[in-house]
Amino acid sequence: MLDFTFTEEQEMIRESVRDFAQRKIAPIAMEMEKTKQIPEDVIQGMAELGLIAPTVSTKYGGQGFDAVTAGIIAEELSRADPTGSIPVFYLVQASWGHVFNKYGTEEAKQEILPNVTKGKWFLGIATTESDAGSDVLGTRTTIRKEGDHYIVNGEKMYISGVREAYTRGGGHITIAKQFPDRGAKGMTMFYLPLQQKGIIPTYVDDLGREGISTGGFTIDNVSIPKHYLVGEEGKGFYIVHEGYEYARGLIAVICAAAGLKSLERGEKYLKERKAFGLPLAKFEALQFRLAEHYTKLSFLRLGSYWALWTYDREGQKKATRFEVSKAIAMAKMFASEWSTQAIDEVMQWQGAFGYTRECTDQAAWRAIRSFAWAEGSKEIMRVIVARELLGKEYTAYK
Amino acid sequence: MIEDYKGILVIGEIYEGKIRPVTFQLITKARELADTLNTSLSTVLIGYNINDMAKEPIYYGADKVYVLDNKMFDPYIAEVYSAVLAKFIDQLKPEIVLIPATHTGREYGPRIAAALQTGMTADCTDLAIKNGRFIQIRPAYGGNIMGEIFTPNHRPQIATVRPNVFKARDPDTSRKGEIINSAPDLSGINIRTYIKDVVKTTVAGAKKIDEAKVIVSGGRGVGSKEGFELLKQLADLLGGAVGASRVAVDLGWMPKSAQVGQSGITVAPDLYIACGISGTIQHIVGMKDSKIIVAINKDPNAPIFNIADFGIVGDLNEVIPIFIDELKKVLNK
Amino acid sequence: MKILVLVKQVPDTSEVKFNENGVMIREGLQSILNMFDQFAVEEALRIREKYGGEVSVMTLAPEQAKSALQKCLALGADKAYHISDRAFGGSDTLATSYALSLAIKKVGDFDLIMAGNQATDGDTGHIGPQVAQFLGIPHVSYVEKIENVEGDKVLVKSLLEDGYRMIEVKLPALLACIPPPNFEYSNPSMMGIVKAKNKPYVWLKADDIDGDKSRFGLNGSPTRVMKMYPPPKRSRGEVFTGNYNEAVKKIIDVLKEKKVIS
Ligand SMILES: Cc1cc2nc3c(=O)[nH]c(=O)nc-3n(C[C@H](O)[C@H](O)[C@H](O)COP(=O)(O)OP(=O)(O)OC[C@H]3O[C@@H](n4cnc5c(N)ncnc54)[C@H](O)[C@@H]3O)c2cc1C
Ligand SMILES: Cc1cc2nc3c(=O)[nH]c(=O)nc-3n(C[C@H](O)[C@H](O)[C@H](O)COP(=O)(O)OP(=O)(O)OC[C@H]3O[C@@H](n4cnc5c(N)ncnc54)[C@H](O)[C@@H]3O)c2cc1C
Ligand SMILES: Cc1cc2nc3c(=O)[nH]c(=O)nc-3n(C[C@H](O)[C@H](O)[C@H](O)COP(=O)(O)OP(=O)(O)OC[C@H]3O[C@@H](n4cnc5c(N)ncnc54)[C@H](O)[C@@H]3O)c2cc1C
Repeated sequence: MLDFTFTEEQEMIRESVRDFAQRKIAPIAMEMEKTKQIPEDVIQGMAELGLIAPTVSTKYGGQGFDAVTAGIIAEELSRADPTGSIPVFYLVQASWGHVFNKYGTEEAKQEILPNVTKGKWFLGIATTESDAGSDVLGTRTTIRKEGDHYIVNGEKMYISGVREAYTRGGGHITIAKQFPDRGAKGMTMFYLPLQQKGIIPTYVDDLGREGISTGGFTIDNVSIPKHYLVGEEGKGFYIVHEGYEYARGLIAVICAAAGLKSLERGEKYLKERKAFGLPLAKFEALQFRLAEHYTKLSFLRLGSYWALWTYDREGQKKATRFEVSKAIAMAKMFASEWSTQAIDEVMQWQGAFGYTRECTDQAAWRAIRSFAWAEGSKEIMRVIVARELLGKEYTAYK
Repeated sequence: MIEDYKGILVIGEIYEGKIRPVTFQLITKARELADTLNTSLSTVLIGYNINDMAKEPIYYGADKVYVLDNKMFDPYIAEVYSAVLAKFIDQLKPEIVLIPATHTGREYGPRIAAALQTGMTADCTDLAIKNGRFIQIRPAYGGNIMGEIFTPNHRPQIATVRPNVFKARDPDTSRKGEIINSAPDLSGINIRTYIKDVVKTTVAGAKKIDEAKVIVSGGRGVGSKEGFELLKQLADLLGGAVGASRVAVDLGWMPKSAQVGQSGITVAPDLYIACGISGTIQHIVGMKDSKIIVAINKDPNAPIFNIADFGIVGDLNEVIPIFIDELKKVLNK
Repeated sequence: MKILVLVKQVPDTSEVKFNENGVMIREGLQSILNMFDQFAVEEALRIREKYGGEVSVMTLAPEQAKSALQKCLALGADKAYHISDRAFGGSDTLATSYALSLAIKKVGDFDLIMAGNQATDGDTGHIGPQVAQFLGIPHVSYVEKIENVEGDKVLVKSLLEDGYRMIEVKLPALLACIPPPNFEYSNPSMMGIVKAKNKPYVWLKADDIDGDKSRFGLNGSPTRVMKMYPPPKRSRGEVFTGNYNEAVKKIIDVLKEKKVIS
């Protein structure tokens, strides 16, 4: 049984999201490059449709969607927003909402998730620090237990959605070291609201996804209640990877969609623009590039859905943790690279216009480029695939 | 037996105490069809206190005018008109019935066809007799396709016909015909519809686009409600009306009654000046039968230029004032 | 209040493309819920919200129109009736409205029936009035708004070319609806889509609706579409760029010559 079709319900979801995204997002997308924020009515519209963290169970205002369905939504949002802002807003909350839903305490879920799915609060992820990114074990932020609560100290950097959580409400699922001598078993994850004493945000002027902020924050003796733990003490390192994987799968879909959409714009341009008396589309040198990039990205798209499908199969006990890690890492490995290469080509076709800020594709290029790092760099994807192929004993370091 | 059905009947429409111009357009065309078929042409007028209008259809070509005059017929109510007219038609047995495709005609008309269990063609833009057959031509798929419809085995053949697709002839007041006051059959009529209010949204004094010989029409490119003032100056100079694209109506710059197009009004003036209108199919179907089309648009690739007799690529705010100045010179104003 | 909305799936004619001969390309045209009908459904759901009751939807169409009904359920309708049978192939508006009226009589007593004022493909606007005629109930066309429902009466706003009328009509009645300018239609929510799956979906065949079968389908259709062709094209005239004065003068000359101005 090999059947590359979506269910009737998934097709309806795609149609509804596509129509919404093309009507409400596409026309305002490039404006976000200047306004630096997602319009509130778009966020509310997404919330009304149930597009914010749809992976959360219905009990907390989500839809209980699986990863493939979450991927369909990601794809349509990406096709509509070349700046990547709304796809990021979506993917972070879908992935980490899923983790929260799975590992958060009942009390915390009731308190936080409905505000997230309603589009009031933002839920992010904060693992990276200025001195530790790929190497999660290098995390310096600490968490310690004190009576019936915990005390956190440290800083986080290059984090998506800091301004959003700081101004709208909400916070970030954060990782910190609790037991320094226990290595991977010493990390703990918890929910950290940003609107509180002891949190000071900073912002970085990054290259793209202008509608959503990237920043960091210092955490100075912040106290969090016990029920904010996400998973048990010492389990953080394992749980964080589940969230990463979810996010990486969605990112792969987003990259494929952004690249394919850019090629569609490019195709139109090739037909319209003339040089040497011919439409550019008649030059085989350019036709070949179109054909190659389209083919690569179509495979990327398929591979991404396959990876998300594998993720869902783990939930049905039909795939192992390791199969999931590998499938997801394979999907994300080339995602940003292939997509930016295709977009770069489309910029090239447009001549000097391609090098202006008016050109939609350059915004897409800047957005998609971020995914070569975000939620796990493309090098780390290779590390993961190689580890699954060769076995853990060939890992060069602990 | 379909042979029992003879003659053409045009249902006249009375609006605000007058026979609507579309009635005369249909009578003019029906005269031509009746002559081809070698048959007679009747008109039925339905309303209240309408006897003094009864002669008019004759001037345009009707042989007989039936008058159904009753208090019950004012104001117009679909269930009453359809019931009375269905009974009237059933007795008269015409082979062809033409109804104006106005909002009212398209409301009561289909009920008549259902009551008589016969075929009906909607919103025709042309009518013809080919090999003795009555061919009804109409747009479908949002104006993207034309269909030719024929009703082979049922009579009467009923069609609603769009205003302004046919031109009314000049009335000939010397023409003679018969006026028949018939008593409408009101049996079994059960009124369940009540008109509570009638509101006109046309701006007082504004010319109606469906009756104007010149229309100056504006779209998104006009830029604002105030921007239409310039168009009005041009229209006034030409003795015309101001029209609009749907976008201009949606944005609240012009009333709905000025909207030209598929979901607005079909017009066919002598001159149509489209200013800042891109020319999508939905707009074009409403004005493509204009005699002369002039388009002003700053985009040289705007599709409106493909159907315009004259196009000027430029900003309407620069072009229209020149137009106004030149016209004033010519018209000595 | 029991409401039934008649709906039709139509090709999306706002994206029509033509081949070199000017013939409309029908392949690849997306099927969508007729926008007039979507408005009617949304209006019906608003009434349900305000006055309670149940909203059903009905179509007479081949199987693939299921997605249109499903969309209505996802938007919030409670129940769908899908009349589908080869016997109905080739129906014109008389045969369509006859079959619809039989099905309506068969499945229940509705207080209010709603339809689109017209479908964007066939575009006749006949079905609403004709269904009302067959059911022997009053109807109003061009309904842009349902103002209120009071007892067994509804008050509606019905458009004229140059204004509108406020009309009160006694129930049961049929309203043929037209979306107002700048109507912002809703997209089905994720929750709605998931719930739609479990709502009653009733298939009806020709045998399920009692009626005179000779009046179904092509045989029951008095009209015949003889021919279809692209609309006659106007040809591109003269397009001026630059020197506006000269262009305007030239045009005015022609207008004088053609006696449009004198
Ligand atoms: C726009 C943007 C948004 C982000 N949002 C978030 C967020 O919301 N939350 C969050 O926690 N983080 C976020 N990040 C951070 C992202 O997860 C990190 O950038 C990523 O994990 C890499 O970490 P680093 O930047 O510290 O690079 P480093 O880990 O210092 O790596 C530097 C380079 O070395 C390579 N490298 C490292 N180790 C190996 C190895 N073993 N073999 C081969 N190559 C290696 C890396 O791939 C990289 O190219 C974001 C990043 C960006 C760009
Ligand atoms: C079912 C349906 C029914 C519809 N019915 C109708 C209908 O009845 N009537 C109708 O009109 N539309 C109708 N539409 C809408 C139609 O598809 C178009 O959206 C609409 O006609 C576009 O209006 P527009 O030309 O004013 O605006 P646009 O398409 O935005 O065009 C504006 C034009 O103005 C030009 N312009 C801008 N500034 C200037 C300037 N300063 N000087 C000169 N030119 C300028 C631009 O180059 C552009 O070509 C319907 C659509 C649907 C789907
Ligand atoms: C080019 C062409 C021209 C045609 N011209 C004519 C003609 O002049 N006369 C004629 O009798 N037939 C005509 N037909 C056939 C006609 O299109 C079909 O009978 C069609 O099924 C119904 O007509 P409509 O699309 O015009 O609907 P409309 O009457 O415009 O639809 C109004 C409303 O009725 C409801 N409705 C319509 N169809 C259905 C349905 N199947 N199920 C449920 N609800 C429905 C919807 O609420 C819709 O919004 C034509 C067909 C073509 C292809």
